[in-house]
Parts: sequence; C-alpha cells; structure tokens
Amino acid sequence: MRETILRALREVYGNLVHMIAEFLPRFLVMLIIIVIGLLVAFVLKYILRALLGVTKLDRVSDDAGASRVLRMAHLPPMTELLSRSIFWVTWIGFILVGLSVLGVAGLQEQISRLFQFLPEVFVAMLILFLGAVIANFLSRTALLAAVNAGHPSPKILSWSIRFVVWILAISMTMEELGVARQTVISAFSIIFGASMLGLAIAFGLGGQDLARKCLERYLGDTKKKEDKEPQPL
Amino acid sequence: MAEDVFLSDDLLRQLMSVGEVDLLVGMSSHNAANTVSHALDAIEESFQRNFVRQRVVIVHVGGGDKDEDGVVAKGHGNLAETGLRLPGITSLRTSHRVTANVPDPPSRGIALRTILAAADLLRARACAVVSPGVSNLTPDSIASLLRPVYREKFDFAAPLYARNKYQGLLARNLLYPMSRALFGCGIRELFSDEWGFSGRLASLCLNQDVWHEEAIQARPEAWMAVSAISSDFRCCQAFLGEKPQAAKGLGTDIVEVLRQTVGTLFWCLETQQSWWWDCGRSQPAPAFGPDHELTADPTDLDRHRIFEMFRSGVTELEPILSSILDPETHSEIKSIVSREEGKFRFKSDIWVRTLYDFAASYHHAVINRDHLVQALAPLYRGMTYSFLVEHSDSSPADMEAASELLCGEFELQKPYLMERWKAKIEVKS
Repeated sequence: MRETILRALREVYGNLVHMIAEFLPRFLVMLIIIVIGLLVAFVLKYILRALLGVTKLDRVSDDAGASRVLRMAHLPPMTELLSRSIFWVTWIGFILVGLSVLGVAGLQEQISRLFQFLPEVFVAMLILFLGAVIANFLSRTALLAAVNAGHPSPKILSWSIRFVVWILAISMTMEELGVARQTVISAFSIIFGASMLGLAIAFGLGGQDLARKCLERYLGDTKKKEDKEPQPL
Repeated sequence: MAEDVFLSDDLLRQLMSVGEVDLLVGMSSHNAANTVSHALDAIEESFQRNFVRQRVVIVHVGGGDKDEDGVVAKGHGNLAETGLRLPGITSLRTSHRVTANVPDPPSRGIALRTILAAADLLRARACAVVSPGVSNLTPDSIASLLRPVYREKFDFAAPLYARNKYQGLLARNLLYPMSRALFGCGIRELFSDEWGFSGRLASLCLNQDVWHEEAIQARPEAWMAVSAISSDFRCCQAFLGEKPQAAKGLGTDIVEVLRQTVGTLFWCLETQQSWWWDCGRSQPAPAFGPDHELTADPTDLDRHRIFEMFRSGVTELEPILSSILDPETHSEIKSIVSREEGKFRFKSDIWVRTLYDFAASYHHAVINRDHLVQALAPLYRGMTYSFLVEHSDSSPADMEAASELLCGEFELQKPYLMERWKAKIEVKS
C-alpha cells in the first residue's frame, strides 16, 4: 500500500518535473519573443515617427482637415496616432506569436480565430470612430444653426441628432461584430421609431403653438424679420 | 497662359476681335435682363461722358440666359451705328461688348476670374467691376472707380459710401478696423459689389493659384484688395454716393454675411501671414471725394431681440466658445452676459481680443472653420447691441472718433494675436 502510494507520488512528481521542464523553455521563449516584440515595436514606432516628421504629415493632415476630425474625436495628431498604432499592432502580433509557442491545447485555435476576427474589430472601430465624428459634426451644425436662427431649444435639437447618430453607429458596430444581430436590429428599429414617433406627437400635439410659430417664421413674411437687425455691410 | 485653359473658344474669338483696350468694365448677372440693360446704359454713358478718347470694352459674364445675351449683343459694335450715342457727346472710339457664358449661375469667383483674364488678354490699363443688381449704378460712380486707376495710376480703388449710421456695422466694427490694423491700409469698404483695379493687379491676381478656394468663389474682392496691399501696390478709395441696396443681396442674414466676409478675411490672414506679421502701423488709403458720410434716418431695429439672441447664443454655445476663446476672454464675456440689458456694454478691448482669438483659432483649425465663423454671430450681435445703445445720440464726428479708437485698439493688441497665432505651432512641433 505504502509502496503504491509512493510510486504514484513519484510518478506524479516525475510528470510534473517533466511538464515544467518542457514548459519552462517554452515560457522563456515566449517571454523572449514578447520582449523582442516590444523592442521591435519601439524601434518601428520611432522610425515611423521620424519618417512622418520628415514628410510633414501633420501639416498635410491639417490642410486636408483630418487633424480637425481627430481633434474632434479627442485623438492625438496623425503622426502620433500612426506611430502608436504601429507600436501596438506590432507588439500584439508578437505577443500572440509568443502565446502560441506555449503549445497550450485550444489556445492556438483561439489565437488563429482572433487573427481572423481582427479585421472585423478594425472595421467596427472605424465605424465607431466615424460615428463619433459625424455625431459631433452634425450636432454642432444643428446647434449653431438653431442658435443663430433664434430657435427656442437648440440644445434639444443638437442632442437629438447626436443621439440618433450614436444609436445608428452603435447598431452598425454590433452588426459588424456579429453580436446578437437580430436583437440589435430590432432594438434599433424600436428605439429609432419610438423616438421619431414621440417627437412627432410631442411637436404636433403638445407643441401646437410652437409648431405654428416655427411654420410662420420659416414660411411667413421674411421682410419683416430682416428689418429688425441692421445691415451688416 | 493659365487663362487659355478656362476661357471658351467663343470668348477668345470675341476678345481677339476687340484687340487692346484702355478701359474695361466687367459685370456678372444671372436671369436679370432688365438690370443688365440699365447697367449697360450707365456704363456706355460713363464712357461717352468721361472717356471719349479711350478704347473701351464691356465684359458681361452670364449664365447663358438668352434675354440677357440679347440685351448685351444689341449694342455690340460702334455706338454710332446702334443709336446709343448721347446727344451732344462725341465718342472717338468704338465701344465693344463681350459676353462670356459660364456655368449657370456664375459665382463671383468665376465671374471675376473671367473678367481678369479678359483684362489681361486685352491689356486693359484700368478696369472696374460693377454689379447690375445694385439699385443706383450711375455713370458717375463708374467713372469714379475708373478715374483714379487710369489717371492717377492707383492699382486698387475701393468704393466709399454715404450710409445710415446704424448700417454697415460689421464693416465699421470688424472688417475695416481689423484689416486696417493687420494689413496696414485703411480701406473702409473691403467687401462691396463695385471696385476698380489696374491691369497689372489683374495679371497678378489671375496668376495666383487660389481660384478653387471657397473664400475666393464667394467674395474675391477683399482678397484682391489684400493682394494689392501685400504687393505694395497703390490703393485708394473713391466716393460713390449713397450706399446701394443690392437687388438680390444677402440682406441681414448675418450668418451668411459672416461666412463670406469674416471667413474670407481670416482666410486672407492665413494666406498672407508673412505680410501682416511684419507690417507696421497702418496708413489711410487716399480718398477721392468725401471720406464717407453718415446719415441719421430713422430705422426700425429691435434692440431687445438682438440682445436676447446675443445672450442666449453665448449661453448655448458655451462649449464651442470655450474651445475657441482664450479662457480669460471667455470668462469676461460670460461676466458681461450676466449683466442687465440696460447696463450691458461690449468694451472694445474685449471685442478685439475676441476677434483675435477667433482668428487664431481659425488658423489652428480648432474646430471646423465654417462652424467657427458661425459661432461669431452671437458675439457680433452683442457688439451691435452695444454700439446701437452707445451711439443712439452720437454725431457722425463722435462715431468717427469712436471708430478711430477701435482701430487703435486693434493695432495695440496685434501682439496678442501674434502670440496666440504662434502658441499652438510651438506646441505642435
């Protein structure tokens, strides 16, 4: 009995030592790959930043209006954004390669799935980014137009537009990622439809006077309105 | 040459048949046969009365309207043959009319480019642009624009007008003092429907690669004036009488006016930075005739509404204004907004700093540039209200003195603009 237990323990110990002996070199290789990846990512980041600095990409980006878009989305300038992106893409790539060296059952399959999923994640991020930019731009356009036209509730108008664009962008992102497709589409249809119906009812029934005033203002006698302010030129 | 690319074969044929000219008057219109007819008569009369010996041409830029083309073509050729000659006046030269059909309707930029190209090809010595839409285009006003350029060798002649003291407040409180302080030349009417220019200025402007710019398409006249100033060309002003009312003008759509004028002025600051950066104290542009006149006819202005739009605008646009204005300027504006209507005054130093903040933010493109210019509208309304209250009983002399003080404030605070202009560049690099 005692002998059997000891033999079993020796076998377990032997297996454990064997596993550690097999795993440790792989783990070390993984760490080396990650560290090398970090160094390569840093080098690539600085090389790219220097190259983009020489080509004055930020100035080109300013001229093209891309800098404004990035600023609106609270993102760094174009050169910094690209350098940071190359750093993270490179390093994450090395980390995944390193993890695959471990040879953990099922992990390699998950990693290859992740690599296949990456394009969809990028597209989803792009949709969200564009959604943020468009929501910001359109809501500000509406706010300025409403304020300068003397609209009584410019912020409500502006927020409504921002809300609708965000809902649309989030729905598209979920659709791209394949998360609960049917649910997302249904939820979007319900929220959007309900919002529009609610606004229409509120404006038509609750705000009859406001609706009349708005129509009078836009379709009425514009000459009278013009006389109230001095000619600017 | 560059102009060959966009001028049609038909227009080139017409221009070649004209030869060289001394004077050129250009105008553009769209579906306005009646006003074109009136303008043509005024130009012809001006030529016959004031420029008897000069070779002259009228260039009409239109959108291909048959009625207009018919009106313009009617007088083509020698005046004596068409029966348009004025009694007792003998014109010694042939007056030509040239029609350029451009995409419908012609923008101001396209029209001016066509007129400049024609002036360049015809080697015109003095040119004027007039608008058939203005109500009181007269032979004398056309001659007043051409004469300083042709006889006194000026390169740019801006108009001067007699106007109601409550009108033209954007020009009085922003465009004139700011452009004078920064570009160093006091031109009161930087944006107008009529102005004169020399052939050499036409050639200079024609060869600039700016014609695709939105600012140039909308209001090219201010850019032309700034180009003349920054090239050390001679600029002057000519009194034309009462300020004409444009038949299809912008009226009081302040946002659209701001877009076209302030947007263009900021764009000029951006493109002519090297000039205004080193420009010293301003010099007045010589004036032919009275140096503008002010009248005090009663007007129907709703001051309360103007103030309310200022107050609500500044409150609602707070996040936008905070990204444009310097924190100190913004807090000062917020403090004056909270005052009662009767006690509210927009002091000139805050107004100037506000505008310089807007100009610097336009340069750094902190937000969409069109949005930035639109965000100025409530603040302009605040300044307008303050001006109307302050000068309700002022004499023209008092108003002129106040205008001079404002110009001085703009010059005094120019280093502030330069500092803010530079600040972000240093951060970026």
